[in-house]
Amino acid sequence: MTFGILVQEGPYNHEASDSAYHFIQAALAEGHKITGVFFYNDGVTNTTKLMDIPADDRHISKRWSELGAKGVPLIVCVAAAKRRGINSDVLIDHARIDGLGQLSELCIESDRLITFGD
Amino acid sequence: MSAIEVGGKNIALDEDGFLADIGDWNEEVALALAKTENVDMTDAHWEVVNFLRDYYAEYKIAPMIRILTKAIGKKLGKEKGNTKYLYELYPAGPAKQACKIAGLPKPTGCV
Amino acid sequence: MEEQAPRKIMFVNRRAPHGSIYAYEGLEVVLIFGAYDQEISAAFLDDAVFSLKKGQDTSELGVKEFSATFRVLEAYGVENRYVEKESLEKRGLTPDDLIVDVEVVDGATLRKAMGEQDVLLPF
Repeated sequence: MTFGILVQEGPYNHEASDSAYHFIQAALAEGHKITGVFFYNDGVTNTTKLMDIPADDRHISKRWSELGAKGVPLIVCVAAAKRRGINSDVLIDHARIDGLGQLSELCIESDRLITFGD
Repeated sequence: MSAIEVGGKNIALDEDGFLADIGDWNEEVALALAKTENVDMTDAHWEVVNFLRDYYAEYKIAPMIRILTKAIGKKLGKEKGNTKYLYELYPAGPAKQACKIAGLPKPTGCV
Repeated sequence: MEEQAPRKIMFVNRRAPHGSIYAYEGLEVVLIFGAYDQEISAAFLDDAVFSLKKGQDTSELGVKEFSATFRVLEAYGVENRYVEKESLEKRGLTPDDLIVDVEVVDGATLRKAMGEQDVLLPF
């Protein structure tokens, strides 16, 4: 099955980002395909490389970047990103800033769209 | 660009040349903004600008291009209700250029 | 991509218009989706019915007042616009209080419509 993923909440403050990540790992392990992860609302703040995390905890943006390196498309909404001070200067590797139309494409192309939010 | 001078008054612009404060707009300011875009304002240009301002006043957004062409066609005549006509007036794109001259907020860049 | 039937996509709005950004950013998504020729619905329930209330004034909150923008939904290709009857009644509102032409439906009807969707997007 193919899954599109929508992440609506920021990292650490809310479990949505962790849940999305674990869901994706489990889906990939089962042989499913992730068509893309779309970051919207405060979810865009998952994708800043300025995150600096103590070594005894997970590094959320690094984790997303590693997933992107494996070929999972990471798409950050440009309008939501502008509001929250995320631009290409601070964006993690293997993610891209793009329009809301990309979320529409995910909804159309994926068997299921799974939202992780509040 | 950070400001234009209109009638002896400095009007602040954002980094893309849009009005920093949309309340600063008047027809003189529009002409000055058009100059920054190398657009000569004819009646046809004003029709679009006025339409955009009316639409924004009513709905608080700039219409997307498909809605704009449809609505312009309905209001100003069928031969004007297409993107070709709008691009002839505003070669850099009606969304960006006409909205700027009309003093609307900068489009967020989605789609 | 091969031709496929339009997808049924419903925006499920549950939150009040102000106090958080979900209603506003949700609205921004709906307006974009209208351009993709899918079958789009917007449902308003719980505190989201306040988003459609006439006569809003946010000047003392210092935030943008965007209720008028909901009036473009139809022109932007949002074919179905539902408001849950129970949510309206609980808040002492009637269809006359709303700025948009909507279909007021009971919870059971709305749940059935949700069950028929390919995608539900919560805001």
